[in-house]
Amino acid sequence: MKVIIKNWTGVATWKWIANDDNCGICRMPFDGCCPDCKLPGDDCPLVWGECSHCFHMHCIMKWLQSQQVNQQCPMCRQEWKFNNK
Amino acid sequence: MSLQIIINFTLTRIRANMSKGDENSYFYWDPLNDHEADSLTNTAMARIKKDLMTLYTDTPPGIFAVGDEKNLKFIYALIIGPMNTPYQGGFFYFVLKCPNDYPIQPPRMKLLTTDGGRVRFNPNLYETGKICVSILGTWTGPAWSPAQQISTWSPAQQISSLLLTIQSLLNEKPYYNEPGFDKEMVPGDSDRYNEIITYQTLRVAVCGMVENDCGLNIPESLQNIIKQSFLNFYEEYLLTIESKLHLSGTSVVDPFTSVAIKLDYAELRNRLVSIHSRLSASKSQEE
Ligand SMILES: [Zn+2]
Ligand SMILES: [Zn+2]
Ligand SMILES: [Zn+2]
Repeated sequence: MKVIIKNWTGVATWKWIANDDNCGICRMPFDGCCPDCKLPGDDCPLVWGECSHCFHMHCIMKWLQSQQVNQQCPMCRQEWKFNNK
Repeated sequence: MSLQIIINFTLTRIRANMSKGDENSYFYWDPLNDHEADSLTNTAMARIKKDLMTLYTDTPPGIFAVGDEKNLKFIYALIIGPMNTPYQGGFFYFVLKCPNDYPIQPPRMKLLTTDGGRVRFNPNLYETGKICVSILGTWTGPAWSPAQQISTWSPAQQISSLLLTIQSLLNEKPYYNEPGFDKEMVPGDSDRYNEIITYQTLRVAVCGMVENDCGLNIPESLQNIIKQSFLNFYEEYLLTIESKLHLSGTSVVDPFTSVAIKLDYAELRNRLVSIHSRLSASKSQEE
């Protein structure tokens, strides 16, 4: 089969990684731990931001520690605040 | 000279000096000159594999990428210049290297389609291969375009969204990618710049890449895509060259560097035709 692409236009699109069942940082399903936890029994809690996005605690902590100035949610870029409710 | 023009000139100077300045710290951006020891975190390994899987299963048009079997950190990407732009059908080859803590930090990325460091294809794509965009952390100045504003790096980005951002630099009027250049410095600058980019695309990013005249180390799968796409786009290339033949022998002055670029479409046409007959001959032999 020979595919001839007749036309396309470069458009920048940003597809956010679905953040319902997977952690938006490591992209692993929430029913397992983050890849840096070796044993499934390790304590790898989930945390939520006030923006309602959810991550493995280990993943979001690494991201927040790398951000010296503004700490933003990786998904929606709102200021990150832990939702403690 | 209006104030706007003076400001633009100053900006160009400052930027020219800036880009020279950070060539000294080249290892901060250059994936082929980075001395970080290879010790990917488990998260980085898992993420790179997932990002590659997304690229293979949900490939954006005009973008091709492969991983490195020997070193997970490296990804090789080919972006084909979008239609109806001066980059049309050009083969832009990139090397990416993921840092140990990927995706906390973005990959380092380099354009290797530069005619051996001689051609700057875009205000954001330097002849050194450096790509100056906020998503890579290589541009920290004010965001001047919507694409730059929203696209600083975050772990929610992935390799395919990064490649889409880079593809969007290859647009219809790349002159305006230059910060502060929302108006032409001299009327006709944008068209003159497009004239140069169209010529350099055909010469360097089409003919040069198919012949691999700079001896780049391109993975075979991407080389095959280049050859096959060349055959598919051949008529388009020829049409463009024929519509420009009357310019052959004339020069166009690059609005950014003031260097005169000679357009040699007559020679380019011969080169294109001979590449085509060589490729079609070797292809019919295979079949
Ligand atoms: Zn995670
Ligand atoms: Zn964990
Ligand atoms: Zn959020």
